[in-house]
Amino acid sequence: MDIANGLRIGALGAAAALLVAGCFGGRPAESGAGGDGPIRIGVSLPLTGDFSEPGKGVQRGYEAWAKHVNDNGGLLGRQVELTILDDQSNADRVAADYEKLINSDGVDLVFGPFSTRLVIPAAQVARDYGFLFVEPAGAAAEVFNQGFDNLFYAAPAVAQDHYNHLAEAILAMPEATRPKTAAYAAMDDPFAQGTANGLKEKLAKAGVRTVVDEVYPPNTTDFGSIAAKIADSRADVVVGGTQYQDAVNLIVALRQLDYQPKLAAFSTAPTNPEFPKAIGAQTEGILSPTGYTPEADYPSNQEFVEFYTREHGTAPTEDEANAWTTGQVVAAAVDAAGCADPSNECQRKMIDWLHGNEVETVVGPLRWDGAGRPQGAHLIQQYVGGKIRIVLPADAKEAELVYPKPAW
Amino acid sequence: MSLVFQSLVLGVLMGGLYALLAAGLTLYFGVMRVVMIAHSAFLVLAAYLAWTFTVHTGLDPMLSLLVTVPLFFVLGVAVQRLLVARLRPATLTMMSVLLTFAVALAVEGALGFVFTGTHRRIPLSYSGARLELFGASVALVKLIAFGLAAVTLVGLHVLLKVTRFGQALRATMQHREAARLLGVDTDRVAGFGFGLGLATAAVGGTALALDSTIYPSLHWHWIGPLMAIIVVGGLGSVAGAAIAALLLGVGQNLLQIPLGTTWAQTFFYAALFVTLILRPQGFFGGRLAQRF
Repeated sequence: MDIANGLRIGALGAAAALLVAGCFGGRPAESGAGGDGPIRIGVSLPLTGDFSEPGKGVQRGYEAWAKHVNDNGGLLGRQVELTILDDQSNADRVAADYEKLINSDGVDLVFGPFSTRLVIPAAQVARDYGFLFVEPAGAAAEVFNQGFDNLFYAAPAVAQDHYNHLAEAILAMPEATRPKTAAYAAMDDPFAQGTANGLKEKLAKAGVRTVVDEVYPPNTTDFGSIAAKIADSRADVVVGGTQYQDAVNLIVALRQLDYQPKLAAFSTAPTNPEFPKAIGAQTEGILSPTGYTPEADYPSNQEFVEFYTREHGTAPTEDEANAWTTGQVVAAAVDAAGCADPSNECQRKMIDWLHGNEVETVVGPLRWDGAGRPQGAHLIQQYVGGKIRIVLPADAKEAELVYPKPAW
Repeated sequence: MSLVFQSLVLGVLMGGLYALLAAGLTLYFGVMRVVMIAHSAFLVLAAYLAWTFTVHTGLDPMLSLLVTVPLFFVLGVAVQRLLVARLRPATLTMMSVLLTFAVALAVEGALGFVFTGTHRRIPLSYSGARLELFGASVALVKLIAFGLAAVTLVGLHVLLKVTRFGQALRATMQHREAARLLGVDTDRVAGFGFGLGLATAAVGGTALALDSTIYPSLHWHWIGPLMAIIVVGGLGSVAGAAIAALLLGVGQNLLQIPLGTTWAQTFFYAALFVTLILRPQGFFGGRLAQRF
């Protein structure tokens, strides 16, 4: 009780201090309207804690983007400068970070953090100050149900829409070969479950019967029983709303029970370079949605991949790409509005412009609905001949969709 | 029906693995009332060593046991003599929780530092191989893990029952002062007991690595269920822990059919609470650490 009170008083004190700093600290003069000092961009990222791996990826993407912009003359002729704080993957911390960035550091623009759990509290703060909020990762339905009008997700599709191209392809199959039953196993996580649920709704509506629908807690490591249920159902299709280790363990458990589906799709895991090392030759035919591939021939993508590879020695992954995309989206809004300052008029001008326009990015052209949902779908990749290739949609494909999938 | 039988088979195999993983825990507690939170961290360490061995040599991970078992025995003796033995006897059990919690964090941090946080899995040509048993599939890797568990537990039982060292160890467990009066070098025996417990972690970690994806923080998922097993089985009783592990493994797998994964996971904790309410000394162990 004493400790809780102490904390409360401490927090009050800190809040008061922040407020005072906000009122009297003043903003650096050069960041006022139309100044010619650098454009200061504030970000809070999970650099430590649960999301530190993807958080660092997003950081690399943001930093690469800023360097690229500065090497090419800056934004509106001004250099950009990133201020990156560490929120320790903590939702309370992330809100305080954005308060600090906007209020006492007086940044001109903000970029979003990583993951749904951190995006929502951060977007709340940004909205309270009328700031444009473009975010690189926060694809779950919850993000878009909060009534944010300042939020834009800088990726091709929300979780529910990741499998859209696959759903269309399945429904377009002739009656005789089209799968009739499907089994779903999803992690109890808004993103992973969202991907599986999106496909489930579409297939169920079209008459593909759901025979297994399992949800497991994120700490599950033994998939024997879930696999036994799926194998027992003999479903034509198996869909995993997965992250990484769960997909790998589930696939091995399914193989151990000699379950052979006609189609197997898992989110996230198959695009991980470690996946083929873990599964071996049995990856053949496994499908996965992906929001980004370095091979995509969108105009700015080659430039991005080249620049990033030169800086880091490896090709960018989805985290870096989504961060870069966030930069591109904000840059487009800044260019269109002709301003980059914290004033309400400028931020509002950028928000309104993004609601009505399309932006060319490394993940393809993006446009959004009123709640900030991107209006695209993910590419569908499949392991064909031992390599992961794009098979859907037809206009982007590198290989033909293999159906039914070979035995694993 | 076939699903129930299949789940039963899976449950027995999993119970065997649980028994192996919990064997060390019950030994530490039996020998010197130490609650060893770091046991599962050492399991993951052994799993990583097996992974490294296989990735670099291309040989079967089971061969890594030739190195890891003696290594872990020495490591166990060292942990006991250098760390655990220095705790004050009056607060030993409580302080051992803190101490071994710190050891667990250190092992996890070191694993993350050396192997990064990337999830790994040993590539095995026979990872999907299986045998048919009355219509149920038995995965070869799970059968091997079960076999390792059986051999280790039987070996441990024989060691404790038949050898002179086993007698000395049991005497130390039952009454330390009396054992010392009879000429047993209890400090030495306690060190060896701890080493023996950690040696089972080497076997357990390798068995675990055969059929799961490993990462540094994996041990937190294991320590809870393993603690539940040794409490239900009767702290300090290897046989009790083995029986409890089998029953809980089978129960969890069967409950998964009607309840789903989320609720089935609570079975271990429900069993733990029921044990503490009805029979705090455990169901199979008799009085604390008196029997094997």
